[in-house]
This record gives sequence, C-alpha cells and structure tokens, in this order.
Amino acid sequence: MPSPRTRRGISRRTVLASVPLVQISTLAAAAPSIAPAFTSDQMKLIEVVVNRLIPADDLGPSAGEAGVPVYLARSFAGHLSSDRSAFSEGLAAIESAARARHNTAFGELSPAQQDEFLTTMEKNEVAGFRPDSRTFFNRIRQLTLEGMFGDPWYGGNKGFAGWDLIRYPGPRLAVSAEDQRLREPVKPLRTSARGGR
Amino acid sequence: MAIKLKPVDVAIIGLGGAGGVAVLPLCQAGLKIAGIEAGTWLDPHSFRPDEINNNVRGWPDSVQKANREVPTVRNSVNGPILPRPAVHAMMNAVGGTTIHYWAQSWRLNPWDFKAHTRAIERYGRSAIPAGSTLEDWPLDYDELEPYYDTVERAVGVSGKAGNIRGKVDPLGNVYEGPREREYPMPPLRSTGFTELMRDAAVALGWKPFRPPAAINSEPYNGRPGCVFHGYCSRGGCHIQAKNSTAVTTIPSAIKTKNLTIFDRAHVTRIGVDANGRASGVTYLRGGKEYFQPAAVVLLASYTYENTRLLLLSKSKAFPKGLSNNGGQVGRHYFGHWVAAGNGGVIALFPFDLNVWYGTPAQGMVLDDWADDNYDHSGLGFIGGTNLHVYNEMHPIQSAGMETFGEPTFGSRWKAFIHQNAGRWNTAHLQTSTFPYEDNFLDLDDSVRDPLGDPVCRITSLPRQNELRAVDFAQRKMEEWYRAAGAIKVVRRTMNPPGVSTHAYGGTRMGDNAATNVVNRWGFSHEVPNLGIMGASVMGTSGARNPTLTVQALSWRTADHLARNWKSITS
Repeated sequence: MPSPRTRRGISRRTVLASVPLVQISTLAAAAPSIAPAFTSDQMKLIEVVVNRLIPADDLGPSAGEAGVPVYLARSFAGHLSSDRSAFSEGLAAIESAARARHNTAFGELSPAQQDEFLTTMEKNEVAGFRPDSRTFFNRIRQLTLEGMFGDPWYGGNKGFAGWDLIRYPGPRLAVSAEDQRLREPVKPLRTSARGGR
Repeated sequence: MAIKLKPVDVAIIGLGGAGGVAVLPLCQAGLKIAGIEAGTWLDPHSFRPDEINNNVRGWPDSVQKANREVPTVRNSVNGPILPRPAVHAMMNAVGGTTIHYWAQSWRLNPWDFKAHTRAIERYGRSAIPAGSTLEDWPLDYDELEPYYDTVERAVGVSGKAGNIRGKVDPLGNVYEGPREREYPMPPLRSTGFTELMRDAAVALGWKPFRPPAAINSEPYNGRPGCVFHGYCSRGGCHIQAKNSTAVTTIPSAIKTKNLTIFDRAHVTRIGVDANGRASGVTYLRGGKEYFQPAAVVLLASYTYENTRLLLLSKSKAFPKGLSNNGGQVGRHYFGHWVAAGNGGVIALFPFDLNVWYGTPAQGMVLDDWADDNYDHSGLGFIGGTNLHVYNEMHPIQSAGMETFGEPTFGSRWKAFIHQNAGRWNTAHLQTSTFPYEDNFLDLDDSVRDPLGDPVCRITSLPRQNELRAVDFAQRKMEEWYRAAGAIKVVRRTMNPPGVSTHAYGGTRMGDNAATNVVNRWGFSHEVPNLGIMGASVMGTSGARNPTLTVQALSWRTADHLARNWKSITS
C-alpha cells in the first residue's frame, strides 16, 4: 500500500494527536489500539447479544469466546466509524425496549427471554429502532457472521472456531480436482490470509 | 487554471475492461495515447483469499472513486430515493473491474442484435413490451464475430465452441452464432458438482455445457493456468491466470511505447472547442488540475460515469451536456436482471457439494431457456435466461445461508449450518432486459461527490416482460435443481435492479441520431471526434455477461478510428 497510513487507516500522527495525555514511553505499546468504538457498557451488551446469536454448545465456542465483539469494536473504530453513532443508537434502543417490556436491562434477562426478545426484533415487532428492529437485527447478525466466519486477522473466528463450525476447509493457494469432488471431505488447512490465529 | 499538457492523438478515459482493450489496436496503429485512469496499478501480491477485504469491504486499499459517487436509485420520477449500497462493486484500477470480475466472457447470441425484428417476425408487433424503446442494433452478430475472435485471443478466453462455421458441437453451446474457429483454450475443468448438474440437465433433455471464461485453463501467453483457489469473485488473481486487461492488452500496448498512463487521475470534464468538437480532458491528479489536449477523446469509464461525465461537460455548443443536444444521453438505460445469491433460486442437497473452491466461471450452463431458443407463444414475454450453476462459496456467505424455516440464530441454527453450510447452492440467472421510455439516467443535485458534482441518478421501474421472464426462468431452475437431487428449493422474489454491475444504455448505439447517442462505429452523432465505449452503447443485454461484447465493440471502435483517422480528425 503506497499511502503512509497504518493498516487500520489511522495515521500515527492521528494517534499522537488524539492521546496527548499518554506518556511517550507507552505509545509504542498503545499504538495498535485505537480510540475505542464503544463504551464498556456497550461492549457488554454486544457480548450478550452475539452470545445469544452464537451460544457456546457441543458444536463449539460462543461468538464472544471466538472474538466476535473484538471484530465489531475494531470495525466501528475503523472501517465502519461513520456508522458508529447509528449502531450505538440501535444498542440503546435494545436497552430501552428491554426496560419497557421487562423493566430491566437486556443483560439481566434470562437467556430464554433474550432469545424471545431477539426473535421479536427479527419479526420487526419491537418499537424504537431506526428505521426498524428487523433492520438492526439483520445488521448485528450480519456483523456477527462476518466476525465469526471471516479471516481471524480481523479479531473474530479465534482458533478457526467459525470455519470448524461450518466445516469450511480453509483458504489455500491452489486446489486440486480431488478437492472438488462431491461428498468427499477436504482436509482442513487452518491458516489465515494475513497471519491471524 | 489547469496545467496544459502536450497534445496527444487520443485521450482515453478509463483503462478497464473497455479502454484497456482499445489501447492495444490504437497503439499498434502508431497513435500516441494518453490513458487517463482514476485508479492505479494493483499488486498481485496484495490479492488475498480474504472475504472481508474483497467481498464485505470492497477493497478499501484501492482507489475509492466509484464508492464515493454511487448512483442514487428511484423507481419513478415521483418515487422516493431508495437505499443505495455503501460499496460499489466496480473497481477503480488499471484493468478496472476485470481485476476482480467473474471473467465470464460470452458472445451475445445472434437474436440479441436483432431482437426487435425477430420478435415481430415470430410473434407479431404486440410482442414488443409496452413502453419499451427497443431497436435492432445497427450491426449484427456476423459483423462483430471477427472482433469477438480477436479479443478472445488477445485477452485469452477458455471455452468450447458449439458452432464452428455452421458445424454444431453439443459439447459447446448449440445455440451460439457461428464462429470462425475454436476457443484458444479448452474450458475450465469440471467438478463433482458441475458433473452432477450436467447429468441432471441431460436427463431433462436440456443441453448443458461449460461456459467461456477469460481465465487460463492452461498456460497461455506466458501466464499459468487457473489453480482454482476459490477467491475469484471480487478477488484478484494472485497468479495472474485471470485475464484482466491489466495483465493482457495493457502490457502489450505499453510495449509499443505509444501509451502513457496517467493513474490516480480523476477526470472532471471533457473539453469542447469553438467548433463543438472535443478538445481534450480535464482531470485532477495529486491536488493539481491538468488539461490533456487530444485530437480524439474516447470515453471508456463505466455506464454511470460515461453518462455523468457527458451531462457534467456543459458548454456553449452543448448546454445540456456533451453530445446531448438531442436529449438522448441517459436514455435507454437498463440494469440487467440478474438473480444470484440470496436473491435468486436456492437449493439444499442431502450431501456435501464441495463447491468451496474454484471460480464462478467454473460452472455448468444452458441456453435452452435463453433468448428466443424456445417458443414464447402465450408466455407474455420475449427474451429469456441463461441458467448457470457454479463453484466458489465463501465462509461468511455460506453461513448466511437461507435456513428453510429453521431458526436464524442460537444452538439449533448452529446445528443447521454445521450440517448444511456446505450443502447449499444458488444459481446465477441472467435475463434479457430491455430499455423503456421511463427508465433513464440523469444527475441527482441532492447528492454530490466529494468535488461537489452531482452523482448519477437511476430511475428504473421493473416491467412485466422482465418479471414474467424471471418467474419462468426461476421455475426452470427449480426443475433443474430437483432433477439433480435437491431436497429443498426456494425461489426468492428478486429486488428490481438498482445500482448494477451490468448497467446498459445511456449512450446507446444506433443509426438513428434522434434516438441514439453514438453511431454504428461508437462515435457520437453530434461530436465526430468523441468515441464512447462500454455497455452504455448496448441496446439489449442478452442473457449473459456483457464484458466480451463490450471488449469486441471497443476493439472495433478503435480499429475504425485507426483506419479513418484523417476523416475523424478533420
């Protein structure tokens, strides 16, 4: 890439300008982490929601354990930063609707109540979302899929948990005719295109 | 004030699928060419099997011009602006979208060039869709055949001929027009899945074949054959087996020393002199404004930008935009009806398909339900659909599969995708689409690009002819999947085409200057030294991908220019 920006699109100068109180000696360690996209409360809510979308069970770890919240945080701190406030509004709408319906925070509901709530969102029957609850449900579900099944370099799919779940044999640079036969399992090759794990 | 550059013979705007081909015959004729490209060279070492980078985010490290001027969409003049995609699938680069396209390289069938006449001959005048502005092309298949042949060899296309000078071969497309000779390379290899679908089609009495692709099936012109790694759709080829113009015709043109490429050059206007002739091209590069004078200007960006640049280039001679005194720029626009992914026909099989790898062009196709290859009496539409099944499935895409009534999240969903993410398939259905009076492109003053210029606006309402044709094709596709053993099939209602990667019209080609922007050679009826290239000149889509036809037409326009240089420039 010819531009002097880092791979997350934030120049070192921007980082320096935005964290004036950090001592220079700690900057080297701090450089990879950029301004957080979400508050800790928002991150907790994201974790609860994505863990209902992909819960831990016999087939593998939860979305949270696989790093999906990290994928979301990094995406909204970088590539999706212009969408961050709209996404934060959606998160706030989940909390408001949970309080309106159950008089408690979404995270305090039982897993069964949380699932019922998400299903109602998917059916487009929860008020308070812009433009509507189904759109936000689909948005967070799609981002969860991206984190869980995308390259681990982006923060999710830790230990290739997503690829194991769907039995995806992994990217490789060349594929033989034997690897394109019906019904025949292909030996998984667990490697990241960019060096993530 | 713009910095005035040394004049050249030809300034060509865009070095993608169209311009990237046209530069070769121009340079070979000894003309001095300035290739003005918004993007830049992309390094094959950066082409990764990375679905987030390629498919989700649309190559964030490439030049993002197209993404900053995505057209707005509405269904009618009074309709609301519809949501538009955040990512435009077209690529700004030397080589353009041929860097990461599916590389399906089809010739149109003879019917597509003369659909108006042929439809009336067979079904009567009432068969012409109401409100359509359909005309015959000013040339027929046979006139374009030598250029198809030339481009198939210059770029490199693999495939199996179905008709060589009238001799029909059922291993190829028996419905295609006669070709002079065989493809330069055999078709891409079959897979377990494509053989399954081939056998099912044969059992139905249909005529399946392997589709043509600008992908090397064996070493060609010093580059290797495809290794089927599975990130071809919206991915660049790390071994350069995909025959983008960036690795084929453009390097050949550079070798003549007659091509100078100005990359990262953002064209803002086409200039006009006092006589109403094109005088050159104004562009921004590195924060400075340049003017490139040229004897001939060739406009070879994408359909939306071809139209927009003409409409933005207003002058005393052309107050409504360049070459638009007849009011035809933007007219006869249509986006191809293409059903793919979750917008089309989706099938679930009771066994693993192993379609993870390969490329979409590594498929099985049939034309039995395309064009006018079957009797349309009583069907209520003309035209048809090429049915195409193929390889290549990415993990995010596969996990996002249709759940056929099962939950879309939670442990039950996990168990569902664990079993089925490798067992589903979706076809690629391309349906003949036609131009209509009320479907057009213009400028949207309410949405502007970073320079402050209005973006292009699509006004397009789906029509009965296409809706009926799509429904017919989806039923045929379901029949094919079921014959192959699919246990579940859904036919999704497609969204009408919005911002399209197969966008046609806006600068249509035709003999009649009152209804067309360019003549049969691709030069403006109003501006004799302005040529236009791309699917924007096409008056019908056919039922297949446009690129090879765009390239054959571009080569033909360039060839015409070289042969008639004196008359065009005087």
